Amino acid sequence: MAHRVGRALCAAAATCALVLGASALASAQTLSLTLSRTTIPFASADPDTTPAITAPVLIVTYRVRGNPGNWVITLRASGDLSGGSATIPVSQVSWVATPSPPFGSGVMSATVAQTLASGSGNVDPSRTGQVTFVLANSWDYSVGTYTALFTFTLTAP
Amino acid sequence: MLRWTVPLAVLVALAAPAAFPAFAASRSRTATASVTVAAIAKLSLSASALSFPDGDPDVVPAIPAAGGPVTITARVRTTPGAAVSLSVLATSDLRAGMAAIPASAVRWTSTGAGFVAGTMSATVAQAVGAWVGSGLRTGTQAYTLTNSWAYATGSYSTTFVYTLTAP
Repeated sequence: MAHRVGRALCAAAATCALVLGASALASAQTLSLTLSRTTIPFASADPDTTPAITAPVLIVTYRVRGNPGNWVITLRASGDLSGGSATIPVSQVSWVATPSPPFGSGVMSATVAQTLASGSGNVDPSRTGQVTFVLANSWDYSVGTYTALFTFTLTAP
Repeated sequence: MLRWTVPLAVLVALAAPAAFPAFAASRSRTATASVTVAAIAKLSLSASALSFPDGDPDVVPAIPAAGGPVTITARVRTTPGAAVSLSVLATSDLRAGMAAIPASAVRWTSTGAGFVAGTMSATVAQAVGAWVGSGLRTGTQAYTLTNSWAYATGSYSTTFVYTLTAP
């Protein structure tokens, strides 16, 4: 496949050389990322007695092979937590994760991907990290059910 | 032809890491975060009793409650845009045996956003505060009793009932 692409682009000799190189690099890397759950539920609670609501632990399993450089797992929200006309800023959600390193704590963002874990080289066999999400509780939240999509991305440059 | 191609390929290869970051391999997974917020209302007062000391009506025409203002904290979670109200109603006039002082002799001034001044009633709940939507609101009520030579001697009492309402 790479050979065919290269030939097709060889009218522009410089670009041809680049595409071949990138294709070869990508095919050599094997990345694997799985989550133990597809939901991160925060139960309703009295802000006076529960100022921070903890979601059940989410386990991230990852594996990196054929990687000559660094790798990173990032987190990004699709937007604020939305429930009809009301929203809860996604920045009210933070997380703590272990083991540290390679995992670290952080605050969710819908605009900038946040680093959940990072390292270098290969991770083989696969390893796991435990992520606990925490929602800062507030009397200002309106009654309702709010959702947002959290995307975990494992990248090896 | 060979001499032209090779130098150009080298130049582009050097620029490749910055020019083509999309070469990075990646895997993504998603999880849906969900938050359930249930309706709840809580009301707290800094004092459970008020007392008005005796005083010469000529010297003290309006007797402030001993202990100073009552601090009120109203906590509500409700639907967006919902009306939230706090009211107070006396269960009766102030009574001492057969004698009575009208509940309307008790007045208050307020501080705090949404809190209002008023006059006590034993028949119609009186507004203490009004707001819109969820939130924690804190204010004070400074009670006074209108003094009068007409009051019979005695120790009078009644109960004020506060009600916090949200849909």
